[in-house]
Amino acid sequence: MDITRAKIRDLRAALDSKQIGAAELCDEYLKRIDQKDGEVKAFITVTREKAAEQAAAAQKLIDAGKATALTGIPIAVKDNICIDGVKTTCASRMLENFIPPYNATVIDKLNAEGYVLLGRTSMDEFAMGGSTQTSAFAKTTNPYNTECVPGGSSGGSAAAVSASLAPVSLGSDTGGSIRQPSSFCGVTGIKPTYGRVSRYGLVAFASSLDQIGPIANDARDCAIMLNAICGHDPHDATSARVNVPDFTEKLGQSVKGMKIAMPKEFYSDDIDDDVKQAVVNAAKSLEAQGAQLIDCSIPGLKYAIPAYYLIACAEAASNLSRFDGIKYGFRGEGRTFDELIRDSRSRGFGEEVKRRILLGNYALSSGYYDAYYKKALALKQEIIKEYNDIFDIADVILTPTAPTPAYKIGAQDNDPVKMYLADICTVTVNIASLPGINTTCGYTESGLPIGMSVIGRRFDEATILQCADAFEQGFTPVAPQI
Amino acid sequence: MSRYIPTIGLETHAELSTSSKVFCTCSAEFGGTPNSRCCPVCSGLPGTLPVLNKRAVEYIIKAGYVMNCDISRFTKWDRKNYFYPDLPKAYQISQMPRPVCLAGKVRINVDGEEKDIRINRIHLEEDAGKLVHDEVNRISLADYNRCGVPLIEIVTEPDFHSADEVIAYIEKIMLLLQYAGICDCKMEQGSIRCDVNISIAPKGSSELGTRTELKNLNSLKAIARAIEVEIERQEELLDNGEKVVQETRRFNEALGETTAMRSKEDAHDYRYFPDPDIPPIIFTEEELAEIRASIPELPEQRVARYVEEYSINKKDADIIVGNKKICDFFDEATAAYNNPKAIANYIIGELMRRINLGEADMENLKFGGAEFAQLVEFMQTDKVSQANAKTILREMIENGGSPKDIADAQDLWIKEDNDLLAKVVDEIIANNPKPVEQYKNGDQKVFGFFMGQANKTLKGAASPKAIQEYIRKKLSE
Amino acid sequence: MAIELKTIQHLCELSKLNYDEAGLEKVMGEMSDIIDLMDEIKSFDLTYDDTKDNNSIKFCDTREDVAQPSFPTEKLLQNAENTDGCYVVPKVVE
Repeated sequence: MDITRAKIRDLRAALDSKQIGAAELCDEYLKRIDQKDGEVKAFITVTREKAAEQAAAAQKLIDAGKATALTGIPIAVKDNICIDGVKTTCASRMLENFIPPYNATVIDKLNAEGYVLLGRTSMDEFAMGGSTQTSAFAKTTNPYNTECVPGGSSGGSAAAVSASLAPVSLGSDTGGSIRQPSSFCGVTGIKPTYGRVSRYGLVAFASSLDQIGPIANDARDCAIMLNAICGHDPHDATSARVNVPDFTEKLGQSVKGMKIAMPKEFYSDDIDDDVKQAVVNAAKSLEAQGAQLIDCSIPGLKYAIPAYYLIACAEAASNLSRFDGIKYGFRGEGRTFDELIRDSRSRGFGEEVKRRILLGNYALSSGYYDAYYKKALALKQEIIKEYNDIFDIADVILTPTAPTPAYKIGAQDNDPVKMYLADICTVTVNIASLPGINTTCGYTESGLPIGMSVIGRRFDEATILQCADAFEQGFTPVAPQI
Repeated sequence: MSRYIPTIGLETHAELSTSSKVFCTCSAEFGGTPNSRCCPVCSGLPGTLPVLNKRAVEYIIKAGYVMNCDISRFTKWDRKNYFYPDLPKAYQISQMPRPVCLAGKVRINVDGEEKDIRINRIHLEEDAGKLVHDEVNRISLADYNRCGVPLIEIVTEPDFHSADEVIAYIEKIMLLLQYAGICDCKMEQGSIRCDVNISIAPKGSSELGTRTELKNLNSLKAIARAIEVEIERQEELLDNGEKVVQETRRFNEALGETTAMRSKEDAHDYRYFPDPDIPPIIFTEEELAEIRASIPELPEQRVARYVEEYSINKKDADIIVGNKKICDFFDEATAAYNNPKAIANYIIGELMRRINLGEADMENLKFGGAEFAQLVEFMQTDKVSQANAKTILREMIENGGSPKDIADAQDLWIKEDNDLLAKVVDEIIANNPKPVEQYKNGDQKVFGFFMGQANKTLKGAASPKAIQEYIRKKLSE
Repeated sequence: MAIELKTIQHLCELSKLNYDEAGLEKVMGEMSDIIDLMDEIKSFDLTYDDTKDNNSIKFCDTREDVAQPSFPTEKLLQNAENTDGCYVVPKVVE
């Protein structure tokens, strides 16, 4: 069976019709990982034994006619989502040997479906970065050009799907970490509305912004995944008590009459011409399908980067304080508690993580709190308001996902400020708790994918999936030649 | 007489007696083998999230009401960040700008004088774990069973001027919390803990002096003594022209002195910020009214009820209400036998006397209010003599059991043996012509002499009433 | 604006991070640049009002107070240096 860019629904049909067994399907992917992951480096851990067990269990369900959407479907999971008994490293020396004793809620939900875990995908350390080059274990490459970054932080999850090492994966998105690598790797990834998916078991980077979501080959596969992982969770007080629709319901519906806003700040000179052109062309294609394009503005965008980094790093500084070498994680040396935790943290964390901890503590520390952290919260309120104003006149918002296509590995090393600025297109979606989906809308001359983002109202994933799906129907993606 | 006036403020931590912890479903019970009452959440594992316990919130609202606070309609939680091995997340979930309760007051009574102590705020937070220090191996062992037990912190204004006032206040809030049913107030188990802020200033001065904070005080005795010792220390400093340094001090009970705790106090910057894992809560008026209505009868209401409905004097009512266990015991007894005055008298005169002697203990009493009521009823209805009642009570304290069974077993009933009564009294009268003469001449006091003699010989064979009647009859013949 | 040495040292203390001399020099430079970027927010002049956040929940949506069985101690401690069911911590100096 050809698994190149295979879709969940095709695999489902193959499994249900006994064209292929769950174990056999799983082996196909493991074989491809063996062949290709040396180059892509998408995985930190490949869970062969567990995959075999799960595939056998899935086959029983299939044989008993009890299969659901994801029964027997191989899935790769970002290495910051806790799985009982499976090493979960966050791509950090700090958690090199950490084995969680419990499952994240999304994992419980996937288990209930009878999924098959292929392995744990690489990421920027503690999800802090946009290149997957801060990973302590697997510096993932871009399947379209292995000299380029795959994006990040969910670079492993995006590259795995892109290179057909997995049909679908889970990532997490705090400031663009699902959408931007999906854009760089030419796949479809959705960050659901904050509160849509339980965060329980996701190792926290910035608690008010983090959200788990799927990366897949198209919008429909994303919708199938969302159907499985969404819903209120009693273990996460920030998970919303709202109805979960069937996210596939609006797929295939025409975008005729859909109002698509294009805030001018997202099409400024800071965005590569290639990228801008591809997104504008995509807009025109949607317009041709009957959608209505609307010009608008989001002035708060100019403060978005500092607001995002202040909030995210403040929360991160606090969230990462628990890593002290005592309860889990890298245990350094020291005669006293203070010496031990300093040594553990100094040697366990990488440079970017440390910078963000320092920045977060700066923003929160006495004398700076009002000027930085509180100001960032004020800006958050303003950005929410500006988005609400746009959604008064539009159904969705269309923007580039990143200012550039994938760049060369090493191009942004040693320049944190440049790296931070590259998040401009994605961070406000997290700040405003909105859902956003990336789908491929073109390729550069050198063949690198260009992504566009469709942003929706809170809890209106169905409409952005519909819009992305409508575009995908008229677009032919090109798989990487890896 | 001192030239200074002390000013004292109090921060009291009280553990709430909920079933589960404040942010996870582990048992909030005291004790347990190390780390047996823990889960990934309260152990601070990566990826875990806190979920607020509804009852803990209900309880702090009740605490607010019994201390006459304003209850915020909008409340939220903050993280207090610091590293310590008893704090697995390296932050404590607490409340900073928007506590549940603000601006209350508690009335205290010191030597008959009433005074209101202002409450600044009450907030809800989580307790930390426990460390056992192994000095030999120079390590500490961390047990997180207590991590996440709900705590309220009650912060007063600096309204106290003596240790007596502080003690009166603590006793009062302990009573209020117990009656409201939200804290068992077992100081020896640490379910109530106090930090004391003390400063002194020359009398007449309008400015407060530099304050010190006393931490880790775990008994009323220690608190009173520590305050006195610290005031003396500060007075001595000022008298010698020295300055009080703002610092945290520890009270050494054995040495009777306070010493500065070696800590990097200046490095403490807790970086409070709103906890993004816990959504703020909005209360409706209906919810608050419902919680308020569910507050059980409070000490002052009980005293008033005993005085008005039972005609018990205020002093006795205060004594009974002053101990929640005894008070509940009294209510149980009164429900079984409707003679509150007799029950109150016997509780105060006999049961509490034995408790004070250390013979009995309300925590482990082997009988209930209903059994006690039966014993009082036997006395009141002349079925058991006073002396035998004491014997029965002793047996109940030691081994439990009902008064009836004990009286049966040990043959302690009044027999109403009229023949024996006549024989004994006739003999006494015959053998004491002189007192008989005195009585007949109008000296009523000698009647007691005859009663005493008769009781001594009859030893419960007749009721006091029967003896009295027979003597009176014989003497007037 | 260059960050001062004593500020970065204070941040290292709060963060419990050690740097050697060269490392500190490097991170000071980086932090200075980052803080310059953050300082852009200072020209934004609205103030924060926490009552206007729309993330609050109803009181009735909090968790009912029901204790559930706890977790196996050995499983909780599986990633820790431990003895007698406790985490082992070097002596805390006060």
